[in-house]
Amino acid sequence: MSTAASGDGPTTEPPAAAGREPQVRFVYDAALATYELAPEHPFRPERLELTRTLLEAGGLLVEPAYADVDHLTERELARVHATSYIDAVKRAGRGDGLEEAYAYGLGTGDNPVFSGMHEAVLRVCAATVTAVELVASGRARRAASFAGGLHHAQRAKASGFCVYNDLALGIRRAVDEHDMRVAYVDLDVHHGDGVQWLFYDAPSVMTVSLHESGRYLFPGTGHTYETGRGPGRGYAVNMPLEPFTEDASFLEVFDLVVPRALEAFRPDLIVLQAGADMHRNDPLADLSLSLAAMGAAYRRMIDLSERLTGGRLVATGGGGYDPFRTAPRAWASLWAAMTAQQMPEVVPPAWRRQWQAASPVALPSTMVDDPSSWEPAPRRDTVSSHNRVVAERLMEVLERIWAGAPAAGQGHREGEEPA
Amino acid sequence: MLVQDIMTRQVVAIGPDMPIRDVCTLMEQRNIRHFPILESAGSGSAHAGSQGAAGDDAGHDRLIGIVSDRDLRLVGADHPLAPRGVAATEPVRKVMIAPVLTAHPLDPIEEAAKVLREHKIGAMPVMDGSRLVGIITGIDMLDALVQMSGVHEAATRLEVEVANRPGELASLLGAIAARRYNVSSVMTSRADAESVTFVLRVNTLDGRGLAAHLRKAGFVILWPVDKTTEP
Repeated sequence: MSTAASGDGPTTEPPAAAGREPQVRFVYDAALATYELAPEHPFRPERLELTRTLLEAGGLLVEPAYADVDHLTERELARVHATSYIDAVKRAGRGDGLEEAYAYGLGTGDNPVFSGMHEAVLRVCAATVTAVELVASGRARRAASFAGGLHHAQRAKASGFCVYNDLALGIRRAVDEHDMRVAYVDLDVHHGDGVQWLFYDAPSVMTVSLHESGRYLFPGTGHTYETGRGPGRGYAVNMPLEPFTEDASFLEVFDLVVPRALEAFRPDLIVLQAGADMHRNDPLADLSLSLAAMGAAYRRMIDLSERLTGGRLVATGGGGYDPFRTAPRAWASLWAAMTAQQMPEVVPPAWRRQWQAASPVALPSTMVDDPSSWEPAPRRDTVSSHNRVVAERLMEVLERIWAGAPAAGQGHREGEEPA
Repeated sequence: MLVQDIMTRQVVAIGPDMPIRDVCTLMEQRNIRHFPILESAGSGSAHAGSQGAAGDDAGHDRLIGIVSDRDLRLVGADHPLAPRGVAATEPVRKVMIAPVLTAHPLDPIEEAAKVLREHKIGAMPVMDGSRLVGIITGIDMLDALVQMSGVHEAATRLEVEVANRPGELASLLGAIAARRYNVSSVMTSRADAESVTFVLRVNTLDGRGLAAHLRKAGFVILWPVDKTTEP
């Protein structure tokens, strides 16, 4: 990033000249689906295939957009994870050292040990790092790694279905190899704790997480007062949402918090964790969003990347425990936004035929749902006003830090002042 | 959890003859709000013997008082609550609090917390016999609360009401263990003759799944609430 101007105004998509690589890449390998924690586990790797086939059936994804997964070395993995932990994951995946593995959060109900675990999760990490590399090196403007998004994994501990932290590895690649400032935006319903704590001191990485309040939901963190530490102060942003938050309130606080935070930080690259579990149908959490608001948030993220990072954005999946109905449609709308394509209105019948037998629920016929037909969520007004007050207070605190913190300009390279 | 588990062991103590203004400077420099005041063994000062040191502790300096930022802040100020007739150049013994309430290293922290709260004081020197071995403050109590509640671990908060009789908590924990979830803390949030409400922090992302499972097994789960909105 030493020469490319960052923070320059809106960039228009250059016309796709014949023979040139596509501008937006879909990082894919069929083997990514081997990250299956257990047969009955709520984290379903089929979501990747469900999404990919939905995109193909809808004409949104065609061959040249695919990108293979590059190799990721263990050395690079060790930039984020403790070598003792990596060894424990490897051994456990071979059926050894199961007693010691427990100290690393492995062998629990959330993170059961499975055969070939190390290789499977390393591949997921490699996919996200590939996506980052494509964008950071300028070979693509945007890239998606929908198998990724393992935001709870810690330096030496598996947590919340996540073994290694692909997002942190991708961010490290952009920061270390491309000298970039990275804004990480986490729209999963759970706080993005793993990524936040790994970069809590870092002035080159801002983490922004919108999530159901930790008072009610795992992992329990993500309070507004978690704002970063030392040189990273002001660069952790947390917006906890009330249970039953609906579309309008979510978008209101999104608009209050996210654009301003990214403007204050001036990133070179945006990494978006797009967990699909803020949706009302998600069985593991309590927000009441529809696909309309989720899609609107994705489009806002694309607009922000156009305005602030020259279009550079990497998107991953994440949570999403309504695997047949919600995650594929959510991520299809994200891909449509990334590629500036129109979402079809109806779910392609061929896709429904392909998957209906496997799905325990009736597959939807439309690509977005119609929240106006839903019962209003309980305490709607209280929820909205509470969210608004929290967002306003959060921004008051952050604006003060950004205005006064010597860290505000720290780490920003010469000749890169934004317009 | 005992006082010795959470006390500060590196205690900064001062002598009774240090001028008040120097004590204030030291508080500022070290970012400390409470100083135990020790009198050298064998010193012939006026307070000698007031603590009744045991014979085998005769070699130690004796604790004769304590002073906090609150006791010093108004010294020399033109204020109705300022200590009368004391100047900042005078020795700290003129404003120190004596006798001193102290804790023992093996006191359970809840006992120490009760003393701090009932006497509205901010700190207690920790004494092993007549030897000063540490100091405990209200902030240490907050740290202990944070640690005891397990909030540093990624977890789901579960609120469960069980009948107030032997074995109920055990069967609850057994049902959680059967799902291979670790429990990082158990706290009592309410209890009467009939029932007890426990707040547990369980290391799982799937708190809803766990709650549904426990409900099926007959437990009364207060949080997370049953999601009635039918998808």
